[in-house]
Amino acid sequence: MITVENLSIHYGNLAAVRDVSLDIPEGKITAVVGPSGCGKSSFLASLNRLTDLIPGAKVAGEIRLNGKSDIVNDPGLDLLELRRTVGMVFQKPNPFPLSIRKNFELPLLEHGISKREIPGRIESTLREVGLWDEISDRLDESAENLSGGQQQRLCIARALALRPKVILFDEPCSALDPLASGVVEDHIAALRGKVTVVIVTHNLAQARRIADEVALFWVRDGAGCVIETGPANTIFDRPKDPDAALYFSGARG
Amino acid sequence: MSPSVNDRVAGAALGIAAWLCGGISLLILIWVGVEAIPALNNDPGISSLLGDAHWLPGSVREPQFGMLPILAGSVLVTIFSIIPATVAGVGCAVFQRFYAPKWMRTFLRRVLELLAGIPSVVIGFWGLVVLVPILQKWQPPGQSLAAAAIVLAIMILPTVALTASTALKNVSPGLFRAAAALGMGRARTILGVALPTARRGIAGGVILAAARAIGETMAVVMVCGNVAQWPGSIFDPIRPATATIALEMSYATAGHRSVLFALAFFLVLVVGAAVGWIAFRKPSTPHRR
Amino acid sequence: MIGGAARLSRNDRLLGAAGGFAALVVLVGFGAIVFDLFQTGTASLSIPFLVGKVENGGRAGGIGPVLISTGMILLVCLAVALPLGTGCAIWLSEFASKIRFARAITAGIDLLASVPSIVFGLFGMVFFCRTLGLGFSITSGGLTLACMILPIVIRTTLIGLSGAPSNLRPGAAALGLSRVSTIRHLLLPVAIPGVVVGTTLGISRALAETAALIFTSGYATRWPEGFDDSGRAISVHIYDLAMNVPGGAANAAASALVLLLALLFINYLATLLADRWLLKRIAPTSE
Ligand SMILES: Nc1ncnc2c1ncn2[C@@H]1O[C@H](COP(=O)(O)OP(=O)(O)O)[C@@H](O)[C@H]1O
Ligand SMILES: [Mg+2]
Repeated sequence: MITVENLSIHYGNLAAVRDVSLDIPEGKITAVVGPSGCGKSSFLASLNRLTDLIPGAKVAGEIRLNGKSDIVNDPGLDLLELRRTVGMVFQKPNPFPLSIRKNFELPLLEHGISKREIPGRIESTLREVGLWDEISDRLDESAENLSGGQQQRLCIARALALRPKVILFDEPCSALDPLASGVVEDHIAALRGKVTVVIVTHNLAQARRIADEVALFWVRDGAGCVIETGPANTIFDRPKDPDAALYFSGARG
Repeated sequence: MSPSVNDRVAGAALGIAAWLCGGISLLILIWVGVEAIPALNNDPGISSLLGDAHWLPGSVREPQFGMLPILAGSVLVTIFSIIPATVAGVGCAVFQRFYAPKWMRTFLRRVLELLAGIPSVVIGFWGLVVLVPILQKWQPPGQSLAAAAIVLAIMILPTVALTASTALKNVSPGLFRAAAALGMGRARTILGVALPTARRGIAGGVILAAARAIGETMAVVMVCGNVAQWPGSIFDPIRPATATIALEMSYATAGHRSVLFALAFFLVLVVGAAVGWIAFRKPSTPHRR
Repeated sequence: MIGGAARLSRNDRLLGAAGGFAALVVLVGFGAIVFDLFQTGTASLSIPFLVGKVENGGRAGGIGPVLISTGMILLVCLAVALPLGTGCAIWLSEFASKIRFARAITAGIDLLASVPSIVFGLFGMVFFCRTLGLGFSITSGGLTLACMILPIVIRTTLIGLSGAPSNLRPGAAALGLSRVSTIRHLLLPVAIPGVVVGTTLGISRALAETAALIFTSGYATRWPEGFDDSGRAISVHIYDLAMNVPGGAANAAASALVLLLALLFINYLATLLADRWLLKRIAPTSE
């Protein structure tokens, strides 16, 4: 369970996200939707402190993982361990331009997994994303030679290999063709119950298909905030906010 | 004159300029190559060049033209300069890109550019009056393979460091984000992701630097000791190809002179091939471990 | 910052220390070289040294004739390399209609850029001194250097020309401008920064050159009597004093300092100009 309280994100003087509070349930799939520029990616990146990589980005508020230490403010937080626990998959597949095996070895070795354990991890996670049968004989070839959809599944497997508790997806299908997009979506859906998933998506139909919970971001007073949250099976039908109603009906956003 | 005539005249003039510029390298190959023909043919001929035991071109009774020790000198001095220059240059680039504060980054780059701009004769002079005496006290005679390698390493280090820095800069930020999102630390990100990804650019810089090292003359001739021999240790004097040409051309005649041209021709081929290879490398090679 | 962590692990710090050490070695090494040259060179450096004639093989007197010869060699070099290089670049970017020809010429220029300077020296000796009958002369030396800096001039000019907005040419053609006027009034102004930076870089390369001059412009230390006279460039002077003239080290050091200062200034100028004109792509080294 991730508890977000009064989260604000600034880039210099620009407020990207203001005062967001949200509960993300454990083991479920939470979809974050909304028009572009409303702060979804910024919100997601703050959950594993990837906002640290952006010069000038400032995060305020609280984020707690299972009620424990505060991700935003805790000075003693081990960032590398946080990112092992909270994995992330990006819009554009970003495998390292090295061998497929290296793609797994580098992060696994960083987190102290022994060399002996690694082949097993590679196989099990590649099976989880349905890649094992496709590429098991090409582990020493460059990951760049894979198709876009395969690369994205490799990135998911690479994150899964670290046995994270949470995985963040930032529009993981929008750079893929429809067929590959469907395959990736199925594998994300299959993570339900195993890890906590937060997925940013532009695609309302996708949110409907795979999400348990939905949070709608919107720009109000120049900054992103959450205007509607709820279970996926009801939120689309009975939104309280008028903007949300228009957005879900396809008229806005 | 009508504009179209004007245009044609201008086009022709510029075209001549262009062909002239492009043709100079051909002129060089031909003019140097022609002078080298006797040496390869029979005066003294390839068998003598490769077979003679010694380099004694001035001997009146029985001149010998064994150029293997000379080629070995060129190769050794290149290897012994490129290794430290690569280690230090890449280290410098890593520090500059990933550790140095912003002001120091620019400062380091400026210093490297200035270092690259010091003429070879000046570095050679520095080597002769500062470096060689130090080596001499420690491992006489001082003028040696080691001295030449150090001087050359200083000269080519900026090339390696600056190209490595550019190559590291061109590593896609997405890969750094991916590494960060996987909880990878700085050292592993640099060693495991950044350097391997930039390896083509870095290797290109190293090869360019090696090409410069093997073709460098002045800095080497002033500190290498100029003895055409197989060096027994790195503190022995050597005489690489470029130094041989510079020192002997002023008095060489007949076959000896032709051999020096053959050495020059050989240098052009080696360096041209190295540089051409970088330019025409396939854009990307599938990675194998 | 990459790795993201505020705290660096032991390995992170080790790598940083190793890189920092390399950088330190470079800084200290550069500092030491410049310091040594200043220390040994300032002793004999003076105005009379700069204008005086060379005496006693260079042990005494100054470097006046050497500076004049250097300037004349440079003059010949630029007088040939600038028009030829600029012309070649303009042809490549504006006139070359067959890609095959442009490729061949570019390959030739790339090869030229890779030729070691001692080979230029030999080529100049047989081609300019002998085949063209120019003898051991300032002209031969200048022409040899011109061949050497042509690639630099061509490349920078090409970069300058590529900065011209792509709609300039069809726009000019639509106005019925001839190609010559298009080039003169529209493209050349755009290309001038590239030419200027290329010239500066070329001068710095030419000034630094020794090996190409030993066998072309020669060793003569008298006041040069004309372009057909032999004349000793400053870099050759340094080499000769250091290697062949016992007791010449002091004046060699002073000459080396003069050359170093001139080059540091010119290179500084080149960076400044390149930055000023936002031609960051020109300096192969820029960030
Ligand atoms: N690195 C950045 N620097 C400055 N502004 C940024 C940066 N990234 C995003 N923004 C701004 O923050 C706001 C939210 O962006 P983002 O989180 O990417 O939204 P979304 O993912 O919903 O499209 C936008 O106005 C965007 O312009
Ligand atoms: Mg986004």
